[in-house]
Amino acid sequence: MTHEPRQLFGIFPSSGVPIYRQIMDQVAVLVASGRIEPGDFLPSVRQMAADLEVNPMTVSKAYSQLELAGTVERIRGQGMRILAPDSMQLKTSRLRELGPYLEQAVAHAYQLSLSRRDVLDVLAPLLEKLDDE
Amino acid sequence: MNSSVPPISIRGITKCFGGTAALSDVSLDVGRGEVLGLLGKNGAGKTTLIKCALGLLRPDAGESLIGGERAPDMSPCTKARLGYVAQEPAVYPWMKVAQAIAYHGAFYENWDADFAASLLQRLELDPTKRVGALSVGQHQKLAILLSLGPRPDILLLDEPVAALDPAARRDFLKMILDIVANGKRTVLLSTHITSDVERVCSHVSILRDGRVSFTGELDALKDEVKRVRLSGLHDYSGNLRLDGVLRVEREGDSAILTVRGNIAATTDSLRRDTGATAAIEGLNLEDIFLELHHDATA
Repeated sequence: MTHEPRQLFGIFPSSGVPIYRQIMDQVAVLVASGRIEPGDFLPSVRQMAADLEVNPMTVSKAYSQLELAGTVERIRGQGMRILAPDSMQLKTSRLRELGPYLEQAVAHAYQLSLSRRDVLDVLAPLLEKLDDE
Repeated sequence: MNSSVPPISIRGITKCFGGTAALSDVSLDVGRGEVLGLLGKNGAGKTTLIKCALGLLRPDAGESLIGGERAPDMSPCTKARLGYVAQEPAVYPWMKVAQAIAYHGAFYENWDADFAASLLQRLELDPTKRVGALSVGQHQKLAILLSLGPRPDILLLDEPVAALDPAARRDFLKMILDIVANGKRTVLLSTHITSDVERVCSHVSILRDGRVSFTGELDALKDEVKRVRLSGLHDYSGNLRLDGVLRVEREGDSAILTVRGNIAATTDSLRRDTGATAAIEGLNLEDIFLELHHDATA
């Protein structure tokens, strides 16, 4: 199944995050949420560039990086196909991705003069959404 | 023609007017398939650079190669591949739009009349109107049409959308994206509108006072210049202005720094030196442009 770029992606060219990075991050979220599934094809570079109104080189770059990361594979004549996530390989990069967000939360807590106990109290109910392992 | 030379290759151009250097040793290349945004404040030298690149002005030093040929001596064959929109397009004010298009098109072997007709519609120009009576925006649209008619594969555009409203500008950007979709055309676009660059350009060169302060991939620039927020500095009185730190704004316990270069290394050094928490934020092109123009001594 292929998808319409604008239905899937919300790209902000004037944000601090490079467009290729935004595309990569959003593909990861789309796969994680099940909105696109292993076996699905990403829209073609040309379609993405035209629909999202961005430079095709940027899209190519995102796709090449996704290929390197093992998120997609290039199928000759057809495009980029989503691969089933390799749980081992992706976890380390997912953990690394979480780091900065937690760091920001801690910095914020410090500015609010909150203690470790306070932060854990806020965190505990939120963590219930996650699995144990 | 040497095909390994980038279609637009500007090498060490210096240009002086009177006693002042408008351009000092400016070099930049635009490779095939690339769209380069030339950014700079008014008076930074963008128009001078484009004119030198095209051979319309003679530089005091350096040279420019278009399609592998020295700019002032371009062959008719290369000139036919070139599209140029000047900052103050001056086109046939006494003619009607349709006449101007026909007249201009006659000079080009590879003029695509059907394409020109489709552009006329797309740009919403009235073919029966006298060119001299067009508004600034309409004039600019006509200049764009005339430059694109021969289906050039090397384009130099000097603030082509300065007079266009947001809808027209957006449509023009789409036109550029259509043009470069096949990966074989090359565009140098000078502008002061950073959001246009972010959308359409793969590469960017920033011109400041006649010198290049950055040239390279847009994404690389966004990775290279970031904001770092420090909190928990307490009474730290040491130097925050480490190598790579462009600007420091300190207020008691916290500080905002602009960092260029190896962001991770510089941020780690700051953490180690100060014991503070550091958060790294991305900057958009407008912010980066302003930071690179901020006086280092402030």
